[in-house]
Amino acid sequence: MKRLLRMSYLVAGVAGLGFFAMSVLLLAVWPGRVLEQQIRGTSPDHPLRLTASEERGRTVYGRAIHAYCHTQQIRYLPNDVARFGAATLAWETIFDYPQLWGTRRIGPDLSREGAVRSADWQLSHLYAPRALVADSVMPPFPWLFDGAPDRPRQEGQDLLAYLETLGRNRALAGPEGETRARATCNCSDEEKQFAFGPVLNASPAMARRQGDYSKLSESGDLNRGRELYSHNCAGCHGTRGEGDGPGAAGLRPRPENLSDHDYTLDRLSFSLWNGSAGTAMPAWRDLPVQDLSALAQVVRGFHAAQPEPTLPQDVLDLGSRVYAAHCAQCHGENGAGDGSAAGQFPIAPTNFRMQRPSLAASLRAVRNGVEGTPMAPWTSQLSEAELSAAAYYVRGFFQGGNQ
Amino acid sequence: MSELRRPTSSPAVETQLVYAHGLAALITLLISVGFGVLASIELLVPDLAAGHGAWQGAWLSWGRLRYDHTQGIMLGWLGNAFFAFLYHAVPLLTGRSVTSARLGQWIFGLWNFAVVAPGWVLVLAGFSQPLEWAEFPLVIDAFVVLALVLAIVQFLPPFFSRGLEDLYVSSWYVIGALVFTLLAYPMGNVVPELVPGARGAAFSGLWIHDAIGLYVTPLAVAILYFVIPAATRRPIFSHFLSMLGFWLLFFLYPLNGTHHYIFSVIPMSAQIGAITASTLLGVDVVIVVANLLLSLRGAGWFPRDVALRFVSTGAVFYLIVSIQGSVQAQMSVNQSVHFSDWVIGHSHLAMLGFASFSAAGGLIHAWQRIPWARYNPRMLNWSYWFLFAGVIIMVTDLTIAGLVEAHVWQTAQPWLESVRAARPYWLIRTLSVVPIGAGFILLLIGITTGDRGGGLGAVKASIGLEPIEEIAPVFSEPL
Repeated sequence: MKRLLRMSYLVAGVAGLGFFAMSVLLLAVWPGRVLEQQIRGTSPDHPLRLTASEERGRTVYGRAIHAYCHTQQIRYLPNDVARFGAATLAWETIFDYPQLWGTRRIGPDLSREGAVRSADWQLSHLYAPRALVADSVMPPFPWLFDGAPDRPRQEGQDLLAYLETLGRNRALAGPEGETRARATCNCSDEEKQFAFGPVLNASPAMARRQGDYSKLSESGDLNRGRELYSHNCAGCHGTRGEGDGPGAAGLRPRPENLSDHDYTLDRLSFSLWNGSAGTAMPAWRDLPVQDLSALAQVVRGFHAAQPEPTLPQDVLDLGSRVYAAHCAQCHGENGAGDGSAAGQFPIAPTNFRMQRPSLAASLRAVRNGVEGTPMAPWTSQLSEAELSAAAYYVRGFFQGGNQ
Repeated sequence: MSELRRPTSSPAVETQLVYAHGLAALITLLISVGFGVLASIELLVPDLAAGHGAWQGAWLSWGRLRYDHTQGIMLGWLGNAFFAFLYHAVPLLTGRSVTSARLGQWIFGLWNFAVVAPGWVLVLAGFSQPLEWAEFPLVIDAFVVLALVLAIVQFLPPFFSRGLEDLYVSSWYVIGALVFTLLAYPMGNVVPELVPGARGAAFSGLWIHDAIGLYVTPLAVAILYFVIPAATRRPIFSHFLSMLGFWLLFFLYPLNGTHHYIFSVIPMSAQIGAITASTLLGVDVVIVVANLLLSLRGAGWFPRDVALRFVSTGAVFYLIVSIQGSVQAQMSVNQSVHFSDWVIGHSHLAMLGFASFSAAGGLIHAWQRIPWARYNPRMLNWSYWFLFAGVIIMVTDLTIAGLVEAHVWQTAQPWLESVRAARPYWLIRTLSVVPIGAGFILLLIGITTGDRGGGLGAVKASIGLEPIEEIAPVFSEPL
């Protein structure tokens, strides 16, 4: 009897170990096999591995910094997909030793952060987050830099390199990869809907070269606009719109001096909806139209209208000739920023029909170029008279008011 | 059935080791709370760590503080408190001494000076592992595993030499915890370094839950089952329910892991399995806690014995946190509250409410029975009330914060609106350290001041003192 009892405890002990083994088999080993199979079917043939620098950046990311504030896992849920893009597929994480899925989102999910922000923005943000994003609670990481946001140390460069890989493989897989994954992924229709949604990267901050924008209204709640401006814009564009906010120092090109330009409402709407591709200006299309209208009111208020000089005809003629010879390739015959070469640049040339620089700003641009953009200085090729004439001339394209 | 086994003589309790681990527990606790407070302040004043020198401020970065906070609580505070309890309880449960006092000194040294202290320093210096409940770097894991093996050598032989017949339920929990922690620890700490991405996450999910379910919970429940009958001097309400609860717990707990990754790419059937297990676990905890609270009958709702009060409050927190866990594992709830401060509230209800109250109760109970230890009942009484208030404030606050964040995330508002909305709640969370910190400091004062041997006097005053050997029969009744 006693022997039997002893045996029963042995059986119980084995059963206990069995419970544990069963949990590992059911919840880790078996799902692992399913995932492996899915990865084999859905992965592109040659997903990019991380370079040595990106790998080091990943270590910086995980060890010290991001792992508990940001997730890297877009769930199969409408809200996640709407905010961040297509749900994470298993193969996207195959180089993650260890995984960085995370279980808390103080900041947003970063699975597809790679193409969202410009490098100068990322560095400036790491250096001093609140300079760019008022009220952010992200800690600053000045020790990744040599005293300035545009002087990252090796670790800072590595981290930036890593951030730019986030979502890269999925984007590189392209439509062919998506089609193939959709066909071979052994998942339900609902899962497919989330994993292969219409937008791979839904980050509202992502800048688009072209895109829809809505009509803004001429009137807007100025107080609401000021609040939005100070929350979201003043960091870079400065409290008076002069492009001198605390976040401006590390950005190339510099944030636009809003007080130096007349804008049409459509111009502002376009930038707010699409951001400015190739620059640090993110898109704000997730704000409601009333808010964007209110913001536009504030932005247009920065510019003090001045009486326009009337120019003698010969200056205008000279300006027109210079413009046609040197500027129209990019800025377009009619100043709409649609010249034949415009499409080749990462940053779109200024559309003078929708935006009029002050004379001073215009002269500065032709003389010095605009740092960080394809706009070069023209002093070596044009005489002072030609420069001034062109600077005057481009201001004539402006189609003030809402088109 | 075999005849009752009553220990004939009082076994030796290594009071020195109880004392050493008890002090280490409270010191590491206060340091861990310090890390947590600093991290919470950094959410309010994020530029706190903005040094501009070569490395200045890097050690203060939020991530590192949080890693040290959770590892310090789990290994430093709870680990030491559990060891202190085991040195007190194992001899009483088995009628035999632990394997060796010398071995105990080694375990103490390893745990505090090869695991907790260097782990903290390495994390602050930037060497860590971004895996939840596994943040100490791999080199530390080796010492944890070594210490766990030594703990098995230290505490399990008394159970086996006594024989496994008619073991009291606390013994089962102790055996289960020591064995399964040793199995689960490497799985959570090492496997994800070898198995990447989604597949590794499946293992991580298991460990996140096993750290709580197979290490913290069984030892805390062992304390509950030990202290309640010992302090009331009545047997547990039902030994059958005890064993039912134990086996269900060890069957269900490991199966919970995947509920940390609901709506992920991990196969849906694994997710649903984990959700089912989580639901059933809530039912199991109702059984366990009902058994515990029914055993308290006669001791009053607010027992005068502060150890018993800590423990019974811990049992109630256990019930609440488990039911909350079952609820938040449901898909409809999980999809909105996951990733939010709700979960942080939940984990504090578990670790600060359930586990810390149980551990503190176990520690005080053992302390009362060290004849030469100082004991200050007034301070401990205040400690209880401060901690109680602190837990309630913090958990309520974080739960509401989580709901607010979840609400903002459902809308199209920019991400930062959820951060702005959470700010006032984060302030209250930081302020909740005032009662919590005060409670823990008073706990330390309570066991280091007062009369030597005052604990025995306090026990006598509340329910009448039992000689130590008389407690043992309470644990030796058959199923």
